[in-house]
Amino acid sequence: MLSILVIAAVFILLLAVIDTEGTDNQRTNEAFIDSLVQQQAIDIGNPYHRSLLKETLSLFSPNERSRNDSLLQALESYRQAQFTKTVHKSGGNRQGLSWDTLYDLAGMYYSFILVYLVVMAASYYAAQTWAVFSFVKRKQQASSYLEKFVSHSLSVVASLRNHEYPWGDAGRCVLFLFLAVLKGLLALILFAPAYVIAYSMKSTFETGGYIFMVLLGVVSNGLLMNAAYQFYTFLVHESRKGYVETAIVKGLKNSYSWNTPDGISFRSLLKWKKTFPAHVFHHIYENARLQYIPTMKQHASFLITGLIIIEMALNIQGHLCYELLQNILYKRFDAILLIIFGIFMVVKATEVLVDFWFYTESQKYENES
Amino acid sequence: MKMNHNRPEWYIARSLRVLIGQRKDLRWVVLWLGGLSGVWLWDTFFLNPLAYELIRSAIANTFYGALAAVALSLSIGWALGIALHFLEERKSRGPHLALIFMMSLLRSIPQIVGLLIGYILLTWMIGQGILQSHASQILWMAFVISLFCSLEVIDLVTERIAYFRTLDYFHAMLCCGMKESRIINVDILWKSSRSHFLHKLVSLFGVAILLQCSIDFIVSVGLSSDVSLSNFPVTLGSLLAKLDSKQDILAMGSMVLDISYLPRILFQHLQGVTVAFVLVFTLVCIYQIADGLMKYYDL
Amino acid sequence: MSVLSYDISISKHNRSLVQIENFRLEENHITFLFGESGIGKSLIAKAVYGLLPPEELQISLNGEPYVEYCERNHTQEIQRNSFFVFQEPSTHLDPLLTLGAQVEEGTLPQKLRASGILERLWNTSDQELLDKILGVYPKPYRPSGGEKQRFLLVMAFLKIDLLLEQMDDHARTMFVFDEPSGSLDNHFRDVFLSFLLEKFEKRKFTTLLITHDYSIISAVRKADPNILKDISYKELSLGRKGLTLTDFMPDNYLKWLHGQKPLRMFFEAPLSPQPLLRVASGMEVFGRRLVLTNMRAWNKQSALEIHPYSMVYLKAPSGVGKTTFAKAIMGLLPARNLRVALKNLTLTEQTPRNIWRTRVWGKRMTITFQHADEALNQQSTVRGTLSGLPRHTMTEQEILQLMAEVFDCEIDDRFLRTKVRYLSGGQKQKLNLIRSLVLDTNILILDEPFNGLDFRSIVQVLDILKERQKAGKGILLISHNEEIFDAVVNPEQVYYISAVPISQEKKTASV
Repeated sequence: MLSILVIAAVFILLLAVIDTEGTDNQRTNEAFIDSLVQQQAIDIGNPYHRSLLKETLSLFSPNERSRNDSLLQALESYRQAQFTKTVHKSGGNRQGLSWDTLYDLAGMYYSFILVYLVVMAASYYAAQTWAVFSFVKRKQQASSYLEKFVSHSLSVVASLRNHEYPWGDAGRCVLFLFLAVLKGLLALILFAPAYVIAYSMKSTFETGGYIFMVLLGVVSNGLLMNAAYQFYTFLVHESRKGYVETAIVKGLKNSYSWNTPDGISFRSLLKWKKTFPAHVFHHIYENARLQYIPTMKQHASFLITGLIIIEMALNIQGHLCYELLQNILYKRFDAILLIIFGIFMVVKATEVLVDFWFYTESQKYENES
Repeated sequence: MKMNHNRPEWYIARSLRVLIGQRKDLRWVVLWLGGLSGVWLWDTFFLNPLAYELIRSAIANTFYGALAAVALSLSIGWALGIALHFLEERKSRGPHLALIFMMSLLRSIPQIVGLLIGYILLTWMIGQGILQSHASQILWMAFVISLFCSLEVIDLVTERIAYFRTLDYFHAMLCCGMKESRIINVDILWKSSRSHFLHKLVSLFGVAILLQCSIDFIVSVGLSSDVSLSNFPVTLGSLLAKLDSKQDILAMGSMVLDISYLPRILFQHLQGVTVAFVLVFTLVCIYQIADGLMKYYDL
Repeated sequence: MSVLSYDISISKHNRSLVQIENFRLEENHITFLFGESGIGKSLIAKAVYGLLPPEELQISLNGEPYVEYCERNHTQEIQRNSFFVFQEPSTHLDPLLTLGAQVEEGTLPQKLRASGILERLWNTSDQELLDKILGVYPKPYRPSGGEKQRFLLVMAFLKIDLLLEQMDDHARTMFVFDEPSGSLDNHFRDVFLSFLLEKFEKRKFTTLLITHDYSIISAVRKADPNILKDISYKELSLGRKGLTLTDFMPDNYLKWLHGQKPLRMFFEAPLSPQPLLRVASGMEVFGRRLVLTNMRAWNKQSALEIHPYSMVYLKAPSGVGKTTFAKAIMGLLPARNLRVALKNLTLTEQTPRNIWRTRVWGKRMTITFQHADEALNQQSTVRGTLSGLPRHTMTEQEILQLMAEVFDCEIDDRFLRTKVRYLSGGQKQKLNLIRSLVLDTNILILDEPFNGLDFRSIVQVLDILKERQKAGKGILLISHNEEIFDAVVNPEQVYYISAVPISQEKKTASV
């Protein structure tokens, strides 16, 4: 709570100070460039004059090549803007926060929070389901598709040497190879940054919609894999604890085969609230789930990073983070501060809610003093 | 020809085969280096020299930045973790609370927002004539990334110290007359937690690459108007944002509907595909290496 | 009487953990299995029971893959009819289920209330108290370690009752009790043993009891002679040829025990006027006041004194605070009313940490903690553990000689380069002891010094401690091994510690 109050105070202070300074700075910069453009002796539109200006700047400031290049570019941009009024069209000439801007930002903030909540919930479900699936596979000691492909290939080769034609085995070879390649592609997709996936899909699908954004937010940037892996490690650690051994000797079901009387039901794996009655895994799952709740605070930060990357990189207009990028471009510091403060509050609210959730869950297992 | 199994080369080859077969982390290191070498070979034959040079610089800059970020994260994280411990021990409430507050603040800021602020500062510094060289610019961004990544290292340091404090280990060493700073730095963190740090640093390497490429991509979309983008060091992220790379990646999507487009992807759209592949393949391999380390050291 | 024989091989990451041929178990017999800690007794028991995870270990039993062994009818029958009580009860109960719910799970018969087992193991008929216990979620400090251990024993006895009801004499069984008395004091240990023997008398079942507590032999000897013929003692030892199972002669232990005498009786010099260490009674730690008494004055509080050439024994039931007391007098825990007097130095709760570090720890006093696994740096080598010590008066040759004495083997370079984590539990405990002995302080505090040691090592270590005593050192022993230390320590040097909750004291005072 203290950090929320302090940051809120700092933001309000900065907002009050920077609002006027930002406008002043903007006017000062524009005035300087305008004075250069208005010089009678130089025609910025003339390439020869531009070269001369560049050489003059190099002579006077030989060690500031970057700055000189930037100045020339700024001159060119300003000249073009004056001609085409593209800055005016995109709203770059807006000065400060108005009620209209605040209203627009509020709408974008609301849809940002909605997307964030949906992605958070979807990631929570997907991570647990994937982790439980991986854990059960580990317990089944199933070999990977690649290993199965190799073993079946060897048996096919051996059969061919004996002049036999094992069509079944050959078919299985192809199937396992296909599944292995598919698994590899899936891994690449799950770890790919959002913009790589989005740009590759741009020509095929509509990438500006909310559904695509939510899918991208869950699947890309490695977020799902890392969250699933974290839950998986909790499951593995819990499975090594003593109470699991006690549960086994008490005669609870201990098989990890799919859909057998003593095993794990695939349907219960897919449910939101997973239960595995009378199975050792129920103990493991419940303990891991309780430990996993506090880690969602870290995931919130990563998740928001992912959403910001998606919105900014894909230039999805009308979204909060694209708006943030635009405001940075046009140095509207008041709007920047407000948006960053809003994002900060989303993270803080998540932390508070997760802490409350964890407290509520753990209180169920506390003894009366 | 009969193999001479007594020759040392045979033993080395056999040991390597067994080691790589048993250790997932080594296996994926070999796969990663093999994958990068394969891409390098392919590009040598089929990519134009200009694009090849760009990609080479981009890869070098990206990995240099990520390694610098990891090294800085380790240094900052270790130092602050120890500082937190000793401030708590000495009951220096003020400095301890201040440090906790700063860490809590950093945790609440999404990493990408922090990196954006870092980039704004970078453009301002370049505009002022500071940090003119590419190496220093990459180092600055690595420093900004490390501020966020060091939080995980701090958590690891404090967690390891707290774990050993609950055991008799800490007290046993004290009662043997050892200094507390030696117990913490040498026995707990260096001798008993090396594998944990290795695993953490490998994971952070992947995180640093992802963050660095993401911010470079976003910035390359057109953030800075004071400083020319052509003067920023080229990285995988900024290369991906170039028009020709974007078109190459767009072309990859066409393969979904028309698989016969694959040969064209591998020969004509090589720049973007190489950049995307190196980035994504590196992230996958880093994840698997970290997983392998976790399994090998039973973390 | 048939004998089951197993050839067992267990390894992890190609490193052998257990390799034994002809591990024998007599059916319908109680077998006490002794042996140094960490050599594989629990692993062997779990392997035979079918509990080890095949995805993490490479296991073969009698030449067949472990997965196949676990699927055999013989193994499944054992698992159906038997129970396994694990050591370390604190981690073997699910923290998210009440104790009552845990005892009603799986194939355990839901007859806890009617069985009378709770009443027997808790030695009470107070139903309200028992209901309260059943409604508790197991947490680190509540219930106590002893209560958690007893709860696991409850589950085992429920299974035994089920077996007795079945009246099938041919049912295959294997009840395993792994260190069942580890968290129990002698009273409850005897309660458990008598209960077990009663059940055994009704119907014989195969029982494997793994323990380091040699004093259990004396407790068993009191049983009905008819049962004694169905009880055998074995010892697992790790030698040059690997693991071997041999018969253990309980009479050897009893003979040795009865031959022990307090050193004080041989050494007639009077106690020196100034003790090496004097600790006032009544310090307050974790909300409890620790009160010391001595046989010299039962009704009065007594300060604990350790003189040169003396061995002092501190006794109390499990969970009272013996280890807490030891840590407090070493300045490792915050304690109110702390008064520790060393020669020319008085230490209280106000004493700065710097004084403890520069003048006490490793200089005048040192302590050997009971869990060697926790007290040693697992990543360090044997040499590194000793060479890293900041100050000691012994030369390298003397240290090697001491190590040879304690380890009872030649100390070569290979052994010195071995990492601590690859030593057996008994070897770790010996190294833990050696580290304190090397510091050569005047006062030595030993918390459960025989933890994890086999009988032979206990004899060796005790001899070394007696040598130290003869050399003028003062030794404070903390142990639940009352039988051995009662024989070795002068009764005048035995202290009792009790813990009174401060809130209770205040209530009593106000009334």
